[in-house]
Formats: sequence, structure tokens, C-alpha cells
Amino acid sequence: MTNAHSPTPARKTRSVSRRFSYAFIGIGTLILIAFAAVGIVFNIILIEGELETRLDKVMQLARTNLPTPLKNLDKDILNGFVEAIFIDASIVYAKISRQDQVITEKKRPGFELHELETSMQPSLFLGAKFIVKSADIQFAEGGVGKIRIVVSGESAKKQVLLQIYGIVALIVLIIAAIWLFEARTGQLGQSVEEQKALVEISRVVSSNLNVEAVLSGIVRHAVQLSKTDAGTIYEFDEAEQVFVPLTNFGVDAAFIQALRESAHGVGDDTVIGRAVIKGAPEQIPDLENVPDYPLPFVKEAGFRAMLAVPLLREDRLFGGLVVRRREAGWFSKPVEKLLQTFATQSVVALHNAQLFREIEEKGRELEIANKHKSQFLANMSHELRTPLNAILGYTELIIDNIYGDVPEKIREVLERLEKNGRHLLGLINDVLDLSKIEAGQLVLSLNEYSMGEVVQTAITAVEALAVEKKLELKTRVPQDLSIARGDEQRIAQVLLNLLGNAIKFTDEGEVRVEVTDSDETFSVSVTDTGPGISETDQKKIFDEFQQADGSSTREKGGSGLGLSIVKKIVEMHGGRIWVESDVGKGSTFRFTLPVRVDRQRDE
Amino acid sequence: MMKTKILVIEDNEDNRRIVRDLLTNAGYEVIEAVTGQEGVTAAETQGPELILMDIQLPDFDGYEATRRIKANPTLSAIPIIAVTSYALSGDDVKAFEAGCNAYVTKPFSPRELLAKIREYLQ
Repeated sequence: MTNAHSPTPARKTRSVSRRFSYAFIGIGTLILIAFAAVGIVFNIILIEGELETRLDKVMQLARTNLPTPLKNLDKDILNGFVEAIFIDASIVYAKISRQDQVITEKKRPGFELHELETSMQPSLFLGAKFIVKSADIQFAEGGVGKIRIVVSGESAKKQVLLQIYGIVALIVLIIAAIWLFEARTGQLGQSVEEQKALVEISRVVSSNLNVEAVLSGIVRHAVQLSKTDAGTIYEFDEAEQVFVPLTNFGVDAAFIQALRESAHGVGDDTVIGRAVIKGAPEQIPDLENVPDYPLPFVKEAGFRAMLAVPLLREDRLFGGLVVRRREAGWFSKPVEKLLQTFATQSVVALHNAQLFREIEEKGRELEIANKHKSQFLANMSHELRTPLNAILGYTELIIDNIYGDVPEKIREVLERLEKNGRHLLGLINDVLDLSKIEAGQLVLSLNEYSMGEVVQTAITAVEALAVEKKLELKTRVPQDLSIARGDEQRIAQVLLNLLGNAIKFTDEGEVRVEVTDSDETFSVSVTDTGPGISETDQKKIFDEFQQADGSSTREKGGSGLGLSIVKKIVEMHGGRIWVESDVGKGSTFRFTLPVRVDRQRDE
Repeated sequence: MMKTKILVIEDNEDNRRIVRDLLTNAGYEVIEAVTGQEGVTAAETQGPELILMDIQLPDFDGYEATRRIKANPTLSAIPIIAVTSYALSGDDVKAFEAGCNAYVTKPFSPRELLAKIREYLQ
């Protein structure tokens, strides 16, 4: 508990303020005691003075009232006077004499005469038990009488003592109050610090998946707030059944190494081993009393007391939190409670981290599974094409009369067969392309090409379709386009796809291709006079298996993969594609493409 | 008049038959080989005027077969048309690098194949 070595500035600041408050209380107490002493002396003087005045009054009374009775030797009056002054309980003896002859004398029972006669001290509080007062009384020419009274100091003393007791009691009360107040404030300060630490930790725990950082924060706060010197959070390794020190505070590397190598587990008689079996906090108040502690290096490092809290959640053991102190002694209940709170936070952190690890693992597995799926699709579609190739090949040979003349009726059916076969082949190719892109297998073949030629190739390929639908096919391509670099075949595929769609969905009007070239970027657009695409559909048509309108899929055919492949090819070139459309007015698909593509972009 | 000899190196029986039926009908003599090694041997012994080379072959691939044939000075002038798979990107480049004169992608249309062959036999 000493502040002799303070590991952090925070703790130093606190101990300084504590020292200051101790000094403050000390000085305050001294001032109070001084005030009390002055008060007591003042009271004594006051009481003594009062006594003196009272006795002086008695003497004065005697001098004015006794001369006549003394002269006449009127004993009754003299006795009456003595009786009267004896009403004052502190007067214990009175004597009236005339010419050394005692006329009347009265002594309160319980007092020895010689005692009364010999006590001559001047002040009650310098040890005198009694005060003696005497006065001469002149009753005639040369006639002198004497009155002598003795007053017991007991009651005055009692009175003074009572006052002293009162003052002391008051001082004690005040000091106690100050101490209590200070202790309470200190406690409040402590609990405010605890609250702050807990808030900080729970914020960190819930926001941070870096378990090391979270736990090192917890162990540091645990050590500082429990005013101990070192701490360790262990994670329980279920496979090895040992406690692995995860984060430490206030110990050196050699100590941590020793902890790690000791490989202690649940069954071992360590403080954490015991705490786990107990399922509750466990203390060792003094290691000196545990000669065969399983981890001897703990004592060697100078630690005397230890407190361990198991990290448990729903009967599952996550690990343990241990704090160590160089000073022997029990840990208080509040400290145990505090550490239990920290333990709960540690469990949350460890649990979060484990969940996070699991999710990451699952993510990786999913990614692998997805790659497998894509690979499977790539393989499968490749395999599907081989027999289809044969079907299409034979069909074409039969149509071309290679195997003899074919009756017109059969030829017509064969042509339908061929058309459907080609459609099927297109679908398979789309699936293949997409799965290859997803499996990361689509590699662009980057070479020099001419955009003008690519457009011309695409136009040639779709010309027949446009003629069949009586659509006008227009192109506007500048003559002086720079020599470009990219995957010519894939770019042609993009253009073919966009042109194919435009022709497919447009029933009258025209389809137009335009190319512009600025800032090292081609801008290519394919515009049609078709039905247009609603705004909602514009957002999803580039997604896989989506077409603008479900009904058009059945009517116009298509896999819904074309545009997503197109988008990926454009993006792999570092370009962008989008659609501009008004329902009823037609659509423009536009994509940009860097003129020189030097590397493939894989997201 | 001697018919023009075309060597078809192809492991798939249907593909072989389609090419055979197509080319025989077009008036060519067709020599068939199923493996790369058979193909190279046939090229050396039969003296074809054109070779159709499938790329995926059971022993060594069509690129290797092409390299071996082109490495032989007496055969290097024979045009070789590679039949590359659409599935494998970059096949065209590899085919040219190996020494092929042209390529068609699989699946091919017999009509287009015939046009390509005629182009190289002129």
C-alpha cells in the first residue's frame, strides 16, 4: 500500500493529494487542541476567580455583620452566620474567634481538621485541595476577632473537569467528523476513479476486437485501483489445460517467462488454481506462510499477497485475473468486488475475441467454398460445351446437306434445333465467364488494338439481326483514334453484348454506337429507341441474374448474366459502365475505358 | 488429280468425325491422329498440306506438337490452324507463340472452319 514506488503518474498524483489531506487533518487537529487548551485554562481562571469573589463576598459580609455580635459575644447570631454560609456546599469549615478564643466553629463531616489546617497552597489547580480564607474583624477599640473559612476545591474541580471533558469530547467529535468526512471523500474519489476505469474499459471492450489491448487496459486498471503492484490476466488453454499469461502489468519479462514455463493448470495449488475450483475469489495474504507455493519465483520477485478471480461465464472457464502486492495482508471485500467486475469485463473481451476469430475463420472457409463453387461451375460449363459442340456441328453438317439432301420440313426443324443450341451455348458461356471472373481466373490478354476495328467487328456480327428487325444501325467513330491497349476480344464481347441487348429489346427505330476519346479515356455509348428502363431497374440490371423486367426474360430470353459480365470486364480494364434511360424513350449504355491499360484491376 | 491432304489431330471422336465428314465432302483427303505423338509422326510421314491442331490432347498438348513440327525444317512451311478452347484465356497468344498460323475457337462452326482452311490453302 505504500507509495514508495509508483508505477504511473496517475497514482503519484493521487498519493500526493492524499498526503496533503493527511497534513491538513493533522494541522487542523493541532489547532483544535490548542484552542481547547486555551479554553480550559480560561475556564479554570474563570472558575477560580468566581470562587475567590464568592469568598471575598463572604468575608465582606462577615466584616460588616459580625462586629456587634462579636462585641456582645452573641453566640446565637455568630452560629446563625456560620450555618448560613454553610449553605454553600463547597465551604467545609468555618471558625470565628475573638482574641484567639474560639467562639464558634463548624466542620462539614468527612473532613479531617489537620488536613484543613495545613493546606495552604494558593491555587486549587496547583494541587491544593482546599482554599483557606481568613479575615480580621474589628469590633471595638482594639478588639479584634477573626473569621477563617476553608473551601473545598472538589466541586470547583469537578466543575472544571466537567468542562474539560465537554471540550475534549467536542474536539474528539469534531476530529472524528473530519476524519470520517475525509475518509468518505477519499472513498468517493476512489469509487469515481473506479467508475471512470470501468466505463473506459467497457467502452474499449465493446469497441475493440484487439483483445490484447483491451486486456492490458483491464489489468493495468485492476492493479492501480486495487493499489497492488502487479497483475496478470490468464487465458485458459483448453487443449493444453494450462493457464497462459496473456497480459501482464508491473512484472518483467523474466517473470512472465517463468509464468509461461510453469504451465500451471486448474488442479495446481496456485492462487488461481484454487480460485477456479472454488468458483470465487481466492486470497493468499502472505506468501511467507506458504513455504511450498508451486510458483516459487513469485515470492522471489518480492510479492507477498495475492488475490485471484476466475474468469467464468456460464460455467465455461476463460481464464483468471490475479493481482500481486509486495505488502502482506488481506484484501478487502471492495477490492475483491472490484476485481470481479474487471473479471467480468475480461471475459467479455475474451469471448468477443474468440467469436471474432470464429467469424474470421468462417469467412475464410466461405471464401474457399465460393472459389470451389466457381471452379466447379467453370469446369462443368466447359464439360457441357463439348457434347454441345458435337450437336451443333452435326446439325450444321446435316443442314448443309453433307449427309445428303434434307427435305425442307426437316431442314426447318434443324434450323430451330441449331438456334436453340446456340442459345444454350451462349448461356453456358455466360456462366463460364462469370464463374471464371469470380474464381479470379479471368486474365485479360493485354495487347494493342484499334477501337475502330473493334466497333466494326461488333457491328458486322450483329448486322444481320438488325436487318431482320428492320432497325437502323448507326456508328459515329472518329477516324483519328489513338492506338489503344487492352483485351481486344473482351472489349468486343462488351460491345457485342450491349449491341445484342439493344437490338433484342428495340422493336422499331435505331441503335447507335458512338465513341469519343479525351483525356486518355474512351467513352463508348450504345443508344437504342427501345422501351427504356425504370430508375429502380437501372440500379440492378448490372447485378447477376437480373433483368429489367421479369416478363421480358421469358419473352426475350437471356441469362441475366450478360451485363454483370460486361461490367466486370469494363472494371477489370479500369473503366466504368452505367445506363441513362427514360421509360418510353430508349436507353443509352455508356462505358469509359482507359486508352492504355497496362494492368488488370482485380478490385 | 491428287486430293489435298489435311491432317486432323483431335482426341474427341465426334469432333474428328465432324471435321472428317466436312472436309471429305469438300473434296479433301483427311488423315486422322488422336494423340500429340501420333500427330507429329503423321506430319512427318504423310506430308499433309495443312494441319488442324487441337490443343487439349492426351499426351502432350497441341502447343508442344506444333513446336515439334515447326522445328522440323521440312515441315515448318505447313500451315497449322489451332483449335483453341474458348474457356482458357490467353490460348490465342500461346498458339501464335508456339508457331500456329491461325486459330479457331471451340466450339467452331463447320462453315467457318472450312472458310478458314480454304484461306490457308490458297
